[in-house]
Amino acid sequence: MSILLNRETRVLVQGITGRIGRVQTKWMLEYGTNVVAGVTPGKGGEEVEGIPVYDTVAEAVAKQGAEASVFFVPPPAIKEAALQTIDAGIRLIVVVTEHIPVHDVMEIREYASDRDVQIIGPTSPGVITVGEAKMGIMPGNMFTPGRIGVISRSGTLSYEISINLATGGLGQSTVVGIGADPVIFTNMPELLRLFEKDPDTDLVVIVGEVGGVQEEKAAEFIDRWMTKPVVAYIAGHNAPEGKRMGHAGAIIHGEYGMGTPQGKIAALREVGVDIARYPADVVGLVKKHLTPP
Amino acid sequence: MFCREGIPVPDYALAGSPKEAREKAQEIGLPVMVKAQVLTEGRWLAGGVKTAQSLDEVEKAASHILDSSIRGLPVQQVMVARKVETAREFYLGITVDEYRGTPMAILSAEGGVSINEIANNRPESVVSRPVSITKGLLPSEAWHMCREVGLSGKELTQVADILSALYRVFRNYDALVAEINPLARTPQGDYLALDAKVEIDDSGLFRHPELNLAMENRIPNPLERKGREIGVTYVELDGDIAIIASGAGLGMASMDIISQRMRPANFLETGGAITADLLYKVMDLVLQKKGIRAVFINVYGGINPIHEGAKGVVRYMQEHNVTIPVMAKALGNHQEETWEIFKEHGVHVVTDVSTEKGIEQLARLLEVGT
Repeated sequence: MSILLNRETRVLVQGITGRIGRVQTKWMLEYGTNVVAGVTPGKGGEEVEGIPVYDTVAEAVAKQGAEASVFFVPPPAIKEAALQTIDAGIRLIVVVTEHIPVHDVMEIREYASDRDVQIIGPTSPGVITVGEAKMGIMPGNMFTPGRIGVISRSGTLSYEISINLATGGLGQSTVVGIGADPVIFTNMPELLRLFEKDPDTDLVVIVGEVGGVQEEKAAEFIDRWMTKPVVAYIAGHNAPEGKRMGHAGAIIHGEYGMGTPQGKIAALREVGVDIARYPADVVGLVKKHLTPP
Repeated sequence: MFCREGIPVPDYALAGSPKEAREKAQEIGLPVMVKAQVLTEGRWLAGGVKTAQSLDEVEKAASHILDSSIRGLPVQQVMVARKVETAREFYLGITVDEYRGTPMAILSAEGGVSINEIANNRPESVVSRPVSITKGLLPSEAWHMCREVGLSGKELTQVADILSALYRVFRNYDALVAEINPLARTPQGDYLALDAKVEIDDSGLFRHPELNLAMENRIPNPLERKGREIGVTYVELDGDIAIIASGAGLGMASMDIISQRMRPANFLETGGAITADLLYKVMDLVLQKKGIRAVFINVYGGINPIHEGAKGVVRYMQEHNVTIPVMAKALGNHQEETWEIFKEHGVHVVTDVSTEKGIEQLARLLEVGT
């Protein structure tokens, strides 16, 4: 089934009655996603694209058997929405919303830590199991079914790399935008673990960028646990120090010498990961691994 | 912020002129420290902190500091604070462990210099521990940390109380970093926070209207400020090729590739919610910088269909008679329609899916050697 979601997954859309929620629901349905319910407090009883809307997640779970949820909820409402969704027993949450306070992310993360739920994001473009279903805002026509897993901190670069892979005759199994904030709910190594045990994935592409330690931690994991090949691209070689490059988490702390692309590349190379100089170079590196010598 | 949580600080007053600084210093009593009040760090190195032994020195220091700017931010106020004799200095900090996703409390019995310097030179003097954000920093955890840096008795509880108060500042103000450096122990055994820093999460600012942090006091670069106002991230660079990207990763990748042969004038990221109005404003923003040779647009339709954005670009070009080359790579929902709109209005369209190819095309157009 690839990872996280497939065409059977019963998907709930939170914030379905908003402008973005509506159009994205339409596109998710067009892609083949099994959207079964929507939630907006106070809008229970309405319909969007023929999908019933409920006031609470518990109701959507009870009436429609929703098991995964994608959030188009504004930042101030995220904490409440997440806690209620976790309590209702949803097992996968994808948070597309940007600009959520870091303290709220930490609170939700701690609340989720001893419960059986996987949360992706925040500031995630979504998760797409190619040819089956998508939760999020990724344009479906950027992806082609295949056997490469993609983990990306950037939405747009996940599109760029997937479409280039496809042009090179290489499709994707699942593409996950893990989110671009300083604190994210699911770190890179956890997704590597899921891809490692997924029978539908042969190779994983990591798309990293300046800031944080996700790539360094991924390198530690690869060294210890990965048997499948990994290829990486890291953006931001020319990013100036001390500036947040669009993503809240994309910042090089000059004083600390932390978060530099050079450090990330060195850590990944050290454990045998091939590094693409530019996004489209990923294609050649992937081919090298998948073609027997 | 700090006083409200019961963190003791030396007597101080704020002054907007050298004369006012002199009066305040007289009330507080000499010697005093005169410190720049700006929303950035590094003021010590920038000459924004001076000691004054006499009232004349206070006036001179205040006048010097008020005439200066620190990291591009003009100094509008100085703090005049009683100079404190110190017997010992500590570092106290609460920060975010980004990878674990928890607050992290840090304590060191070596204050005064930066925590990184302390951690590099005397790692054994630094203790840190993750804090449960739902429980908060428990007194017993603070006591434990104080014990680990060698404190005992009354000192242990005093410093622990200040660490707990600092944690409350961190939580109450949505801080990413809250630190006291140094916390001084006077020869009389009192504890006073001599310098402190709080970095507040931009995404949490909506909960703190009382702080009233005007953007012109935080962001010195006018183009970067303008970017914030229209809801995009703009970072000024020193080249002449303007970049407009619909995502941060794509923007950085474009910057990296352009930097090989040309020089980017800026980084700009719009986010996925592109509208005609937004791209109109963004064109205006990147072209405010002098000497732009070309604009490279690299966008994916995510939240909104991409042809809407194209309409904004071409409307701007028509109204402002833009004659420099504009090149666009646009993929996603409604891409064919988008290409039509661009082509009709003289925008060079990249139909290849790779950004490298697009930038090669741009280099050929500008006749940049390979």
